[in-house]
Amino acid sequence: MDATTHNISKITHSICPFCGVGCGIGLRVEQGKITGVEPLTHHPVSQGSLCAKGWSTAYAVDPIDRIKTPLIKENGEFRPATWDEAYRVISEAFSTAISEKGPDAIGIIACARATNEDCYAAQKFARAALRTNNVDHCARICHSPSVAGLQQTLGSGAMTNSIGDIEKADLIVIFGCDPTENHTVLGGRIIQAKLAGAKLLVVDPRLTRLAKMADLHLQLKLGTNIALINGLLHITFANGWEAKEFLNSRCENEEALRAKVAEYPPEKVTAITGIPEEKLISAARMYTEADRAMLSYGMGITQYTTGTNNVISISNLALVAGQIGREGTGINPLRGQNNVQGACDMGALPNVFPGYQEVEEPANREKFAASWQQQLPEHKGLTSLGMTKGALAGEVRCMMIMGEDPVVTDPDQNHVRRALEALDLLVVVELVMTETASMADVILPAAAFSEKSGTFTNCERRVQLIQPAIPPLGEAKPDWQILGELANHLGYSGMNWKSSEAIFDELARLSPIYQGMSYPKLAANYGLQWPCNDQAPGGTALLHSKEFSRGKGRLIPVNHADPAEMPDEEYPLFFTTTRLHFHYGCGSMTRKSPLLERETPNGVLFINAKDAETLAIGPQTRVRVISRRGEVETRAIVTDEVPPGTVAMPYHFKEAPSNRLTNNAQDPVTKMPELKACAVRVINLENEAT
Amino acid sequence: MKVFILEDIEQLRDHLATQRQVFTPQHTEGSTELDWLPLTHKTKSITSAWPVLPTYPAKQFFFPDREILFQFDGHAFEEVLPEVELQILFGVRSCDLCAIAYQDQFFQQDPYYQARRKATLLVGIDCKQPCEGGFCPTVNAGPFIRDGLADLACHQREDESWLVLAHTPEGAALIQGLNLQTADPNLITQRSTEESQIAAGFPSAVHIEAGIQRINQAQVPAETWQSMGLQCLACSGCTNLCPTCSCFTSYDRPIADGIERERCWDSCLYDAFQREASSHNPSADAGQRVERFWFHKFSDAYVKTFDRYGCTGCGRCEKTCPGVIGVHSVMKRISGTL
Repeated sequence: MDATTHNISKITHSICPFCGVGCGIGLRVEQGKITGVEPLTHHPVSQGSLCAKGWSTAYAVDPIDRIKTPLIKENGEFRPATWDEAYRVISEAFSTAISEKGPDAIGIIACARATNEDCYAAQKFARAALRTNNVDHCARICHSPSVAGLQQTLGSGAMTNSIGDIEKADLIVIFGCDPTENHTVLGGRIIQAKLAGAKLLVVDPRLTRLAKMADLHLQLKLGTNIALINGLLHITFANGWEAKEFLNSRCENEEALRAKVAEYPPEKVTAITGIPEEKLISAARMYTEADRAMLSYGMGITQYTTGTNNVISISNLALVAGQIGREGTGINPLRGQNNVQGACDMGALPNVFPGYQEVEEPANREKFAASWQQQLPEHKGLTSLGMTKGALAGEVRCMMIMGEDPVVTDPDQNHVRRALEALDLLVVVELVMTETASMADVILPAAAFSEKSGTFTNCERRVQLIQPAIPPLGEAKPDWQILGELANHLGYSGMNWKSSEAIFDELARLSPIYQGMSYPKLAANYGLQWPCNDQAPGGTALLHSKEFSRGKGRLIPVNHADPAEMPDEEYPLFFTTTRLHFHYGCGSMTRKSPLLERETPNGVLFINAKDAETLAIGPQTRVRVISRRGEVETRAIVTDEVPPGTVAMPYHFKEAPSNRLTNNAQDPVTKMPELKACAVRVINLENEAT
Repeated sequence: MKVFILEDIEQLRDHLATQRQVFTPQHTEGSTELDWLPLTHKTKSITSAWPVLPTYPAKQFFFPDREILFQFDGHAFEEVLPEVELQILFGVRSCDLCAIAYQDQFFQQDPYYQARRKATLLVGIDCKQPCEGGFCPTVNAGPFIRDGLADLACHQREDESWLVLAHTPEGAALIQGLNLQTADPNLITQRSTEESQIAAGFPSAVHIEAGIQRINQAQVPAETWQSMGLQCLACSGCTNLCPTCSCFTSYDRPIADGIERERCWDSCLYDAFQREASSHNPSADAGQRVERFWFHKFSDAYVKTFDRYGCTGCGRCEKTCPGVIGVHSVMKRISGTL
């Protein structure tokens, strides 16, 4: 029997691979294995804390269950293959599809958990090696409306302020999210600020942890954000509480907004949102009276067919109150993945090059074409949901998915499965056998974050270095290396980088917001916040302080609209999706931890005691949840944390996939699906049996 | 106990390194974090990090985050006992030494722990000033090393020379080759006086003392625990970094011909820690779990078994807790000194 000595040999400093907060983490290496982690006490974001996921990181990248060689599917079974063979199979299928249908027959899904260097490589591979703009990633289903909405109103779609501003705010407003679950360390800083005397205003249909601690909780009905905000603005203007000087000097289109919100008197807003008038008045007063009010929001704003308008509405509120452009204020979208901000920054999106430079702008194309030595496609590409739709229509023939599991995480699972089945070739680059990987024709083994160098960009735009604690497992490689080698097989030699640093230098040269950054500078500063360039060599903690990125802040009137599917007689309950502190995305990393796995059963339905009583449902009762698109069996948790009439499911569990139920009705601007609201019927299976 | 004079602490450290593998707290390259790492030629002086505690106590040397217990191939069980190279932990602080003594009792019958522990000698260093958040004097865990808790205890004197106290025969054997001069017995008395002076320089800990009293007199209202339970985000940071926390769970992992059973650190703040198969949970409320944690740290009930409280005053929980319910925050809240 092998002896198991446990002698620490080193601790490698890195960045936590889970949510977008970007905590500092030390990876403890013993005998060549990552055995544990430690928090970094001096890290500016996490200051010595980690969440349950972060503490479980060693399990997430554990050798067990990892894919260690390329795999090719033959007669329905995977067999190990060499890299060369795998590249040949892929390049042949890609070449055939391109010669028959053109480059747009291929779709690339980049990975928001991978590094900036990997994401840059993914979009360069699509644009320069394949010559299509069909590249997207999971920001589509989290914050694409933030990018689109804030781009229109402010000129920049990222968090305007920094995480440390939480301590500088007099009022913290949490809109449609529960940071103590999804962004736990940031949530902790909110608790800290609240205990130190800040006021807390929570807007959420659920009674979240922060709602329980709040000075005021606006428990609005699902999908009524715009009506609520228009109502708050109506009250603000009616009382003259708006920031007059700020509106005059820094904003435009005030009259149009005034006219629109005039249509939203309190009685009407109360009827739509369910929030009593006095609470609306208190909230409007709190937000406009606060010296510094910092607003953060999450998926409760974006995952609607009105997602982009919801974001615009948030922007209207902050601009009218003048709560932006100063420390301790701002509009702060909380990003879900460790590098979803970076994946957007890198242009892993169908409409922009790195640094949000539009692909349809000829000057941008010329600049990138010159650098990449390749003619580039002129029109925008398909979004991720556009690709699945294209696959069903026979337009998209091959897809390459890097580290995402759309079968579990995207809306309407049956639709996604049919689309992936319809492809000529599905390539998945993964750590473990996910539901999506099991449908692939070729699987390529990816190096985990702990096995490679690169950078992650957190939600406050902080670009941070990661470094390998151990070498890649088996034959695994970083995504950028895989893509570079595959590009060679396809006849494009512009991606033969020697190191991740060489990629970073290339992307920094081409993206004005990253221009002033380099690995040595990042290493010396716990990262740097973009924009970082000649004008701001030390990076930028606060956006829009003197003027907005687009000049004036634009107020845009928007209207309330119901979710695409409302409860009715047949499907009488509202259904919404949530996240849990203990799990991350499809669960492929967090569910490898025995502690996190033990904490939550494999799927649950949260149901209010009133609805539970009507259906004779108790704790752990087996239930079937049915929507127009599918059905799921799971167990009930009876709770006051969801309101009567609304049930909720987390989306992490393949055994009870909430996305078999969700609606893929989409926001017209961004194609964001309406993951937050649809209608379902719940059946008590134990009643049925007796 | 024998006491010697030592001119240079590094001389002792390097001498120890000729005998066994030495681990000591040091800054990971290029950072300000203080970690337990193997001694190398790059390791700086032990005193360069004063007065900071390493992020982790020393418990992971004996009770690692994860370890294999046995393998089962469908027919036979085979125990996997650790074989640890002889090692020395150099520079353990008093609070962490008290915690090792605590865990030595808890894991007395545990062959895995004992195999590691028996391969290890401990060299402690007296703390000469309070560390941030530390309150060891209040729980009788420092700042100077308690007799018998280290094989060697080192104490820096005013003139920067050192006293070395050999508490065990193994400790005495370690320094044999150094030919150290025996110290004047008066210096031991001086050391005791100095400890009281340093202890007096610690920030007030009335909230800790009052909190301990409230806990032991069951005077903390359930609502107070509940409101703190709401702040518990169940991250497990406090139990991971606590030098005395010893709870573990086990699980099976598939291997080529069967399974291997691993155990890993558990946390009593997790909802599922005590949840039963039926889904009934005797501590379903987070407030109850927070209460239980602090009861284990400060109840007189455990003093009978361990001769001390389950808290050694290191303050690591306060630093790592994202929900602001580390030891100072909790004790201020329950003692009403907030």
